[in-house]
Amino acid sequence: MNAENNNTILLDHGAGGKASHALFSKMILPLFSNEYLDMGDDGAVYPVPAGRMAFSTDSYVVDPIFFNGGNIGDLAVNGTVNDIAMCGAIPLYISVGLIIEEGLPINDFQEIIKSMATAAGRAGVKIVTGDTKVVPRGKADKIFINTSGVGMIPDGVNVSGSRALPGDKIILSGTMADHGIAILTAREGLTFDGDLKTDSAPLNHMVKTMLSSGCEVHVLRDPTRGGVGTTLNEIASQSGVGMTLFEKDLPIKKQVNGVCELLGFDPLYIANEGKLLAIVPEKQASKVLDLIKADTFGKNAAIIGQVTDQRPGKVFLETAIGGQRLVDMLTGEQLPRIC
Amino acid sequence: MGLTYLEKFRDPSLAKNLVAAIHKESRHPLRLMEVCGTHTMAIFRHGIRNILPETITLLSGPGCPVCVTAQKDIDAFVAVSRQPDVIVTTFGDLMRVPGSGTTLAGQKGAGADVRMVYSVFDAVTIARQNPEKQVVFCAVGFETTIPTIAAAVLMAAKEKVTNFSIYGANKLTPPALAALMTTPGVSIDGFILPGHVSVITGVDAYRSVFETHKVPSVITGFEPIDILHAVLMLVRQNESGVPALENAYPRAVRQSGNPKAREVMHQVFTVCDAAWRGIGLIKNSGMELKPDFKVFDAGARFELNLTDVAEPKGCACGEILMGLKTPVACALYKKVCTPMTPVGPCMVSSEGACAAYYNYG
Ligand code: SF4
Repeated sequence: MNAENNNTILLDHGAGGKASHALFSKMILPLFSNEYLDMGDDGAVYPVPAGRMAFSTDSYVVDPIFFNGGNIGDLAVNGTVNDIAMCGAIPLYISVGLIIEEGLPINDFQEIIKSMATAAGRAGVKIVTGDTKVVPRGKADKIFINTSGVGMIPDGVNVSGSRALPGDKIILSGTMADHGIAILTAREGLTFDGDLKTDSAPLNHMVKTMLSSGCEVHVLRDPTRGGVGTTLNEIASQSGVGMTLFEKDLPIKKQVNGVCELLGFDPLYIANEGKLLAIVPEKQASKVLDLIKADTFGKNAAIIGQVTDQRPGKVFLETAIGGQRLVDMLTGEQLPRIC
Repeated sequence: MGLTYLEKFRDPSLAKNLVAAIHKESRHPLRLMEVCGTHTMAIFRHGIRNILPETITLLSGPGCPVCVTAQKDIDAFVAVSRQPDVIVTTFGDLMRVPGSGTTLAGQKGAGADVRMVYSVFDAVTIARQNPEKQVVFCAVGFETTIPTIAAAVLMAAKEKVTNFSIYGANKLTPPALAALMTTPGVSIDGFILPGHVSVITGVDAYRSVFETHKVPSVITGFEPIDILHAVLMLVRQNESGVPALENAYPRAVRQSGNPKAREVMHQVFTVCDAAWRGIGLIKNSGMELKPDFKVFDAGARFELNLTDVAEPKGCACGEILMGLKTPVACALYKKVCTPMTPVGPCMVSSEGACAAYYNYG
C-alpha cells in the first residue's frame, strides 16, 4: 500500500520506514526547517550563551483539536513558549513530540504543522528536534502533542512565584476566560452571538520588553488551567502573602461573561492561553501596565488587585457591590481537556 | 454609554442604597431562607452575606437539585452505568456525588460510558448517533428543567428514538416548602423564592403555601440588586407585621407563569410522591412519567435490584436543607468533607450550601 498517497495518517507513518521518512521530509521538515533541525541527527546540537537557563515541558490533549482562533498546534507552541517566558527567560529552542491516532486526515495534520511553524516564527523560537508516533485507532484521540523548550534568563532577572510582596500590584494582561469558553463552545457545539475566540498567543515579546525596561518584576505567571483564581492562590501560598482583587477592575469580554453566567461558570477559574499575571512593586505598576498595553496581546491589560500582608495564602475578591468573598483554589475539573 | 441590562442589576450605587435601607429598617433578628441553590451561589459570589446587618441570617434551602437527590437515586444512576451497552448522560454536578458505593465519575474511571451533557437534548442526539446502545439521562431538576425533559421525551417518542430513556428524580418546589413549614424545629421568617422556577410556575403556585403558613415570601432574580431588593422587601414585611407573597422579578415572572411549559410538563409527567435527601418522602413533590410514556422509564427498562440504604453517617445535608443547621455546624465539614473528598451532595454541587461555604468562605 502506498501510504504517501493516502489522505489519512496510517500506522505506516509512524513505523520508522519509508512512510515515516516521507511524512517527516515532505510535510514536517520544510515547515520547521532551521540549521539545527536540518542536521538530521538524533538530537539537536546548538550553542548556548553563558548564564542561567529555563527548561519547561507540557503536553497538549485539547478536544476538539480545531477551535475558533487556533488549533492544538499553535496552542502547543505558544504554551511552552509562555511557560519559559514566565521564568523570566527568552525562549530559544523547542522540541515537538507528536502522538497521532491512525486515521487523522492528512489535511488536518498539515494544518496543525503549519500553525506550529507559524507560531514558532511569531515567537522567534526554533523547533530543533522532534518525534512522531502513530498509534492504532482508539488508542489516542486524533493527535496529542508534547512540546519542551529551553530559554536563557538575562543577567539580573529574578522572577519567581515566591517573590510577591505586600504592597505589590497585580496586573492581568487582558480579558479572562477567552480560551476555556472558546473550547467549551466549540466542543459542545453551542452557538452564541459574538465572537468567542481562543486567546492563545506568545507572550515572550511582552515579557522581554518588561524585563529589559529596568522595571522590577517580582512574579510572572500565565493563568492557564485553573484560571486567574487558581494561579493567584498558588502564588499567594508560595509567597506567603494575601491578595485582594477588585471585581470592577477584572477585564472580561461581554460575550464571555454572558456564557459564564448562562452555564454557571466562574470566569476566574476558566483557562487562558495568551494572558499573563505580573506582580510588580506599586511604584512601577503604571509603567509596567503601559508597557504591557503597548504589546499586541496586552491591549486590555489592567491592574486587578494588590498583594497584602493580611490572611497569608488567601485571595479575596471585593465584589462590585461592595461585598467580599474568598477566591479559593479550584477543586475538581471545571472543564476537562481544555489544553 | 448607558448601562447594559445586567450591569444595571449590579450597579454599586443602587446596591449601596438598598444595603443602607436594609440596615436602617431591620430591627428584629430575621431568618431568611433562599430556597434555590442558584441564589445560594449568587449570594456567596457577590459577597452579599457580609454586607447585610447582623440581624439577618441567610439560610440555604432545599432548592439545589443535586443536593436533594436521594441516595437511592444516586445508587440507581450508578447501577444503570454498570449495565452492558449503556451510555449514561448527566449534568456535570451529579458526576461526583457519592452513592452508597461509588460515584458516576468513579464508574467512568472504571470504564463505564458516562457523559456530561448541558441539555437533555444532547442525550437524545447521543441516542440517535448510537442506535446499538441504550442512552439513559439522569433527570434531576425542578420546574425549570422538567418541561425541557418532557419536550425531549416527546421528541424521542415522535422520532422513535427508542434507545433513549430517563431515570427520573425530578422534584417540585411548592410541596417542599409546605413540608418544611410543618417540620418541627424549623423556623423561617421569610422565603426568597427562586426566579427561574417561578418563570414556569408563576406567582400563583405559591399561593396555597402562603395562605396556609403566612410566611413572608418574595420571588426574585439572581443579580445582586434582585437579591438585596428581596431582602429589603422581606425586612419590611416582617417589621410591619404584614406578610405577603410578592414578586420582585416581574421582568421574568408572570402571575400565571408559563402555562405552555407546564402543559408540556403535564403531558408527559404526572405528580407523584418523592424522596428528598435528608428530608424523606414528601407527598406530591415529584413527577413521574405518565403511563403513555412509561416506555421511556429507565427504571423499568433495567433490572437494578436497589436496596434502601442509609445516608452517610454524620452528614447533615438534610438539616442544612431545612435551615436547621449551617454547614459549619456539621462535624465533618472541612475535616473529613471537602470538595475534593465530598461526603454529601451539598459539598459537591456548585449550588450546594456546603460547597458555597467552603469555596467562598
Ligand atoms: S459538610 Fe459534607 S458531610 Fe457535612 S453536611 Fe455538608 S456535605 Fe454533608
